[in-house]
Amino acid sequence: MNKDININFFKPVGDFMKKDVAMKKKLLIVWFVATYGFLFLLKLVADPGKTVELTLNTGEKITQVSGVSFLTETQFLGFPFHYWYSGQFLIVLFIFLCYVYCKFIDKLESEYDK
Amino acid sequence: MKKMMHWGLSLFFVLMSTNAFAVTDLNPEGKFKVIPAILMIALLILFIMVGVFFKAQNTEDYWAAGRGVGQIGGGMAIASNWMSAASYLGMAGLIYLKGYFAISYVLGWTGGYVLLLVLMAGQVRRYGKYTAPDFVGDRYYSTTARLMSALIVITISFVYAVGQYKGIGMMFNWIFGINYQTSVIVGTGVVLAYVLISGMLGATKNMQVQYVVIVITFFLPLFFIASKLGYFSAVPQIGYGAAVYDIGHGGNGIVAAASDPSYYLPFAKYTAYHWFALCITLMLGTAGLPHVIGRFYVVPRVSDARWQVVWGLFCIALVYWTAPAYAAFAKFSNLLGTTGTTITPDAIVVNAAELAGLPEWFAGFLAAGGVSAAFSTVGGLLMAGSSAFAHDIYFRVLNPNASEESKMKIARVGTVILGVSIIIVALNPPALIAQITAVAFALGANTFFPLFLLGLWWSRTTKEAAIIGMIVGLVVTFGSMLIPKTSILAYYIPFTSSAIVGVPAVLITMIVVSMMTPEPSQEIKELLYKVHNDE
Repeated sequence: MNKDININFFKPVGDFMKKDVAMKKKLLIVWFVATYGFLFLLKLVADPGKTVELTLNTGEKITQVSGVSFLTETQFLGFPFHYWYSGQFLIVLFIFLCYVYCKFIDKLESEYDK
Repeated sequence: MKKMMHWGLSLFFVLMSTNAFAVTDLNPEGKFKVIPAILMIALLILFIMVGVFFKAQNTEDYWAAGRGVGQIGGGMAIASNWMSAASYLGMAGLIYLKGYFAISYVLGWTGGYVLLLVLMAGQVRRYGKYTAPDFVGDRYYSTTARLMSALIVITISFVYAVGQYKGIGMMFNWIFGINYQTSVIVGTGVVLAYVLISGMLGATKNMQVQYVVIVITFFLPLFFIASKLGYFSAVPQIGYGAAVYDIGHGGNGIVAAASDPSYYLPFAKYTAYHWFALCITLMLGTAGLPHVIGRFYVVPRVSDARWQVVWGLFCIALVYWTAPAYAAFAKFSNLLGTTGTTITPDAIVVNAAELAGLPEWFAGFLAAGGVSAAFSTVGGLLMAGSSAFAHDIYFRVLNPNASEESKMKIARVGTVILGVSIIIVALNPPALIAQITAVAFALGANTFFPLFLLGLWWSRTTKEAAIIGMIVGLVVTFGSMLIPKTSILAYYIPFTSSAIVGVPAVLITMIVVSMMTPEPSQEIKELLYKVHNDE
């Protein structure tokens, strides 16, 4: 028993696990950026002139951009684009990511006779 | 341990006393709606019949091997088990109230499956335990951890089911015209009886039938609502987009002055931080719900289980693409100035049909579908809760020599106790359906998600870390409800989104504590090595 049997997501051991983890990382990055990167983008491109006043739960009043931008004013299939992206496209992407992973891991498992 | 449960319960009572969410009577005239009632009763009979008819086909078929039908069928079962009153009724209500912000519910409850599949499914399956507390107890070689996690499973089932009861109560109230409190007791009595009966019947086929019922009842009225309001009705899921645009800009009968841009603008009502916090909480919660993780344990072929997740997600998506349409059409009708219907956010789906001026029996479809959605989920939750009680606590800890029969008996008693005790909270629900459900997700995210993540992916994690991690998770989840509503802390840790702070806190705690405590034994490490590199 000289081999390293410590499992760590960032130090995968064995070929199978290395390939598996590499794929997992890719998918998780896509998942995260597509969901939360878009939120960041909405904030980034928002028209700084169009603001709303919010009252926070602390009673403090803050002024922030309401998020008007080409992303919200462009119509796509009738939708404001960002609404379509979050409400419909992202879910399609999630299904696609799951599909890609299933395909990948099936192939990998058959290669390594799991 | 017991103290903790009491503490959690008393917390709920504290919450209940603040009654900002008193349930409005949907049916003040007390009118008995004949056709919806017939629909509802017919559906209940159908479920029982299916259960009796497919009794011979046990759970083995559920994971039927082979491509195609088995996987799609399994996916449908996953979907109906997953979709609750929160998806069917609550989600549309929140979108109606909060606009774009509430899309985070839609994304949170779908995106979590990516995490679940990629990070856990295969590994959990190779670990080959029966329940989530089983995994925790064995991986963290500790009876204390096993007990704690079993109690957390019961707590999650409890909180989650409160939202379902509220949905069932509201729909029974709308259909039969009895007041909400009576409806909750009657409705949940029916559910309990159903769960106890169907526990002995074929559950899988029933889930598939329930899924079909959910989809048909959810889709059908929408075509009519869309065409009535003059939107593209062949695919109302696309057609409602124009309604969202019109709500924000005016058009199709809404004058520009009456338009409500805050409905579609991303940051008009909440900050970006709130959106992020809620969405990530629901995603991590999805990957940390014990009865969802539990699906991967007892599968003959892991590949099928994974494909079922893909199909399951697709089946769920069909409903989640549709829910925002109800919200948009209700909002649109509302701005149009259609009166005569009182709007209750949690019954917005039924309201939308009424607002659009459709006949009552159409709305009856939706009410019956909402109850079906709640039924399938409550069944699964009560089973999860009672099995934690019977298998993880009684059998694994208290009485390891218990016979299969006495285990079953305990499970039944547990089901009834759990089922009845939820009523007490549901009579006076502390929040909107989807919000109550979100708290259950926050709890799952703050406790089970880190336990599984580190347990599967880092062999250095120790039992002390698991126990302290669970305590931190519980403190964050329930502490977030106790924070005064007007404090700055409450802004950063909303009670529905506590995982944004909870998960990092628990992960850091667990890593630090692991480093300070002795390493797990060689056996645990070898087992884990096998899980990843099964040679």
